[in-house]
Amino acid sequence: MKRLLAAMVVAAAAIPMFAGVAGLPAPGDAGAPAHTRVAARYVEAGVRETGAQNLVTGVLLNYRAYDTFGEVMVIFAALAAVSAVLSRGPPARRPGEARPQVETSPVVAFVIRLTAPFIAIFGVMVILKGHLAPGGGFQGGVILGALLVLLSVVTGRGLERPLLPAPAARWLQAAGPLAFAVVGLFGLACAGTLLGYPAGPGADMLRAAMMLMLELGIGIGGAAIILWLFLQMRGE
Amino acid sequence: MGAALQNLDYFAFVILFCIGLHTLVARPNLLKKLLGLNIMETAVFAFIVTSGMVDGGAAPIVDGTVTGPFASPLPQALILTGIVVAVSISALALALIIEIYRQCGTIEADELKGVG
Amino acid sequence: MSAWLPLAACVPLVAGALVPAVGRRRPQLAQGCALAASGWTVLATARLTRRLFMEGPFSYAMGGWAAPWGIELRFDAWSAASLFIALIMLAVLVYSGPYARAAIEPRRLPWYYSLLLLNLGGMVGFACAGDLFNLFVFMELVSVSSYALVAVGGGRIAALAAFKYLLAGAVSSVLVLFSVGVLHALTGSLNMADVALRLAAVESRGPVVLALAGLSAGFMLKAALFPVHLWLPDAHAAAPCPVSAVLSGLVVKVGIIGLLRTNAVFAGVDGLPMAAFGQVLAWLGALAIVAGALFALFQQDIKLMLAYSTVSNIGYIVLGLGLANHAALTGAGIHVLNHAIIKATLFLAVGAIIHQTGSRTLRELRGVGRMMPWSALAVSIGALSVAGLPPTAGFLGKWYIALGAFAAGQPGFAAVLLLGALLIFAYYIRILNAFYFRAPVDDNMRSVHEAPLPMLLPVLFLAALCILGGLFGRWPVALVAPAVERLAGGG
Repeated sequence: MKRLLAAMVVAAAAIPMFAGVAGLPAPGDAGAPAHTRVAARYVEAGVRETGAQNLVTGVLLNYRAYDTFGEVMVIFAALAAVSAVLSRGPPARRPGEARPQVETSPVVAFVIRLTAPFIAIFGVMVILKGHLAPGGGFQGGVILGALLVLLSVVTGRGLERPLLPAPAARWLQAAGPLAFAVVGLFGLACAGTLLGYPAGPGADMLRAAMMLMLELGIGIGGAAIILWLFLQMRGE
Repeated sequence: MGAALQNLDYFAFVILFCIGLHTLVARPNLLKKLLGLNIMETAVFAFIVTSGMVDGGAAPIVDGTVTGPFASPLPQALILTGIVVAVSISALALALIIEIYRQCGTIEADELKGVG
Repeated sequence: MSAWLPLAACVPLVAGALVPAVGRRRPQLAQGCALAASGWTVLATARLTRRLFMEGPFSYAMGGWAAPWGIELRFDAWSAASLFIALIMLAVLVYSGPYARAAIEPRRLPWYYSLLLLNLGGMVGFACAGDLFNLFVFMELVSVSSYALVAVGGGRIAALAAFKYLLAGAVSSVLVLFSVGVLHALTGSLNMADVALRLAAVESRGPVVLALAGLSAGFMLKAALFPVHLWLPDAHAAAPCPVSAVLSGLVVKVGIIGLLRTNAVFAGVDGLPMAAFGQVLAWLGALAIVAGALFALFQQDIKLMLAYSTVSNIGYIVLGLGLANHAALTGAGIHVLNHAIIKATLFLAVGAIIHQTGSRTLRELRGVGRMMPWSALAVSIGALSVAGLPPTAGFLGKWYIALGAFAAGQPGFAAVLLLGALLIFAYYIRILNAFYFRAPVDDNMRSVHEAPLPMLLPVLFLAALCILGGLFGRWPVALVAPAVERLAGGG
C-alpha cells in the first residue's frame, strides 16, 4: 500500500516533468532565450557597469544585490532557528556522570594546527578576490567556518568555552545584514537608491570598497554562523 | 524525437529528482527523508545551471584572456543563493532531528506514529 | 524615488539580525526592539497603502537597475496585504510579552523575537516582490522562520510537527524553484511583467504548462489546500499560541498570494487549459471547505479545531480563485485579509485562556466565560465572524464568493459554501456552549483570572477589527478592485 502510494507520487511528478522539459530549448544553444535576454547585457556590459570581472559576483552584488541580502537573511534565520530549537538552560549534570571525552588523535591535532594558518589565508583570499576570480564572500566564509569548526574540535572547546566569546559572536553573526545595511544606506545617500552604487569618474575606488565591505560582511558572518551551528548541534 | 534527444541532460535531472522524491516519500528514517530532499534540491540546481550553459563557452569571468562565448552568469548566481537556502533548511532539519531524538529516542517515522 | 517600499521589509529584517546581540542579557530589550521595528513596518506599509489609493500601483528599482536587469519591487493591491501583516504582527509582539515569558525558555527568547521579525520582513518582502527569484528567496525566509517558530516552545509533538512542516514546505519550495528555472530557460528573464510579456511569444506549450502546474502545486502545498493539508493541523496546534496566530492567519496566505501573483504571469498565454484549471481549483476548494469543517467538528482540543478551521477557510479562498469571475475574486481577495484578522483574534484569545487556565480541551474549559469575560467575548466575536454572520468581517468575503458561484452558473458551489458555514457555525456553537453554559468540571476554574492587560489589549483590538472590517467593508473591496479587474479581464 505504502509502496503503491510512493510510486504514484513519483509518477505524478515524473510524467509532467518529462513531458515539460522535452519542450525546453536545448541546453548549450547560444541562441536560446536564456542567453539572449537578460544574460546578454550582463555579459556585454557587466564588467563596465559593475566593476567586477567575475560576472557572477557582479550579478550577486550589483544587479541582484537584494536577492543576496535575502540570502544573508536566510542563513541568519537558520542560525536563529537552530538556536531557538536547540538552546536550553545549563544542564543539570549529576556529579560523576562526566561526558565520555573522546581524545583527539595527536596526529590529527598536529596536522590541523599546522595547516590552520594556510587555510585561513586561503579563506581570506577567496573572499578578497571574489570580484576577479571564482570565489566570494560565501565561499570564503565557508572555508573560514570549516577552519573554526576544526579548531574547536581539536582544542575541545564547545558551547561552554567557545572559540569566539558569546557577546562578540552575536555581533559577528550579524555582520552580513549589518554590512548590507551600511552599504545600502550609503548607496541611498550618494546614489539615490537603496543598494545603489555611485557612478561617474573617480567612483571606481568607492564602488570597489563598498563591494569589498559586502564580501567581508558576508564572509565573516557566514564563518561565525557556521561555527555556532556546529556548536549548537554538538551540545555541551 | 530529435528535440527530445537534445534535452537528454534535462531528463537526467528529472530522474535524479524522482530518486530524491521517492527516498523522501518511501523511507521511514527521518535522516534519509532529509537526504532525499537534498537530492531533489541538487537535481533542481543542476537543471538551472545547465540551462545557462553554452556549447564551448567559458566561465563568465571577463578578464580579457578569453573571448566569448561566455556561459550565462545569472543561473550561477541564482544557484549560489539556492545552495545557501538549501544549507539553511538542512541545518534546521538536522537540529529538529536531534531534538526529536532527544525527546522520543528514535527517528524512524513508523515508530514515531504513536507519540503524542 | 522614495525608499519607503524597500525599507518596509529591510528594517525588520536587519532589526531581526540585531535582536539576539542586543537582547542576549536583557530579553526585555529584545521585545522593545521588535516592537519598534514592527511599528516602523506598520507606519511604512500604511504610507505605501495610502499612496496606492492615490496613485495606483508603483514600483521601485532596487539599486537603480531597471527591470528586467535588476530586481523590481512592486506595490499593488495584493501587496497591500502587508499592512494587515504588519498590524497583526505588532499585536502578536505586544501579546508575546507575558505569554512568551511563561511558555518559552529564557535562553530562546531573543531568538524567538528575532524569528518573528524575520518572518514579518519575509512576508512583507514576499508581498512586494516583482521578481520571480526574489519571490522565492523571501518565501524561504518566511518558511525557515516558520518551521523554527513551531518548535520554539519545546515538547516532543512540536518538534515532530515542525519536521513534518519542514518537509512539506521544502518540497513545495523545490517545486517553485524548479518552475522558476523552467520559466527562465523559456524567456531568459525573471521579472514577472517581462516574463508574462515574453511568455506570450513562446511556441512550445509543454514547458509552460509544466511551470504553471509546478508553481500552482508548490503554492497549494504552502497554503495547505485540502489533499495536501496534512502538515498543517499538528504544526498550528503544537506551536505557541502567538505563533499559531501568525502561521494560521498570515503564513498560509503566502501560498495564496504566491498563487495570485504567478497566475498573473500566465494570463497572456493562449492555448492554456485555464478553464479546466479553474474548475480543478474550485472543486479542491469545495472539498477543503467541507472536509476541514468536518474534521474540526470532531476535535476536542480547541487549538486543533481552529487549525482545521483554517483548512476550511483556505478552501473558501481557493474556491473563489477557481471560479475566477469578478465577484468570486473580490470575495477571495477580501477573505484573505479578513480571515487573517479573524484567525489571529481567535488564536490570541484562545491563547489567553490557555495561558490563564493551563488547559486546552473543551471539557476542561467549561465555564471559563464567566471567569475571563473579555477573552471569551473576543472568542465569541471571532467565532461569529468566522462562521460568516452578517455585520462581521467574515460575512463579506463569503457573500461575494457565493455571488460569484451564481454568476458562474454553478449554484452547487454556493450550496457547499452554505453547508460549510453551517458546519463551522455548529462547531463554534460547541465552543460557546462550553464556555458560557456548562458548569466547570474542576474547581480550579473558579480561581481563574482575566489575562494581563498586554495580552488583553491586542486581543480586543483585533476583535474590534473583526467587527469594523464588516461595517466598513467598502474599503477592502475598493482596495482589491483594480487587481480583480486585471485578473478577471485576463481570464
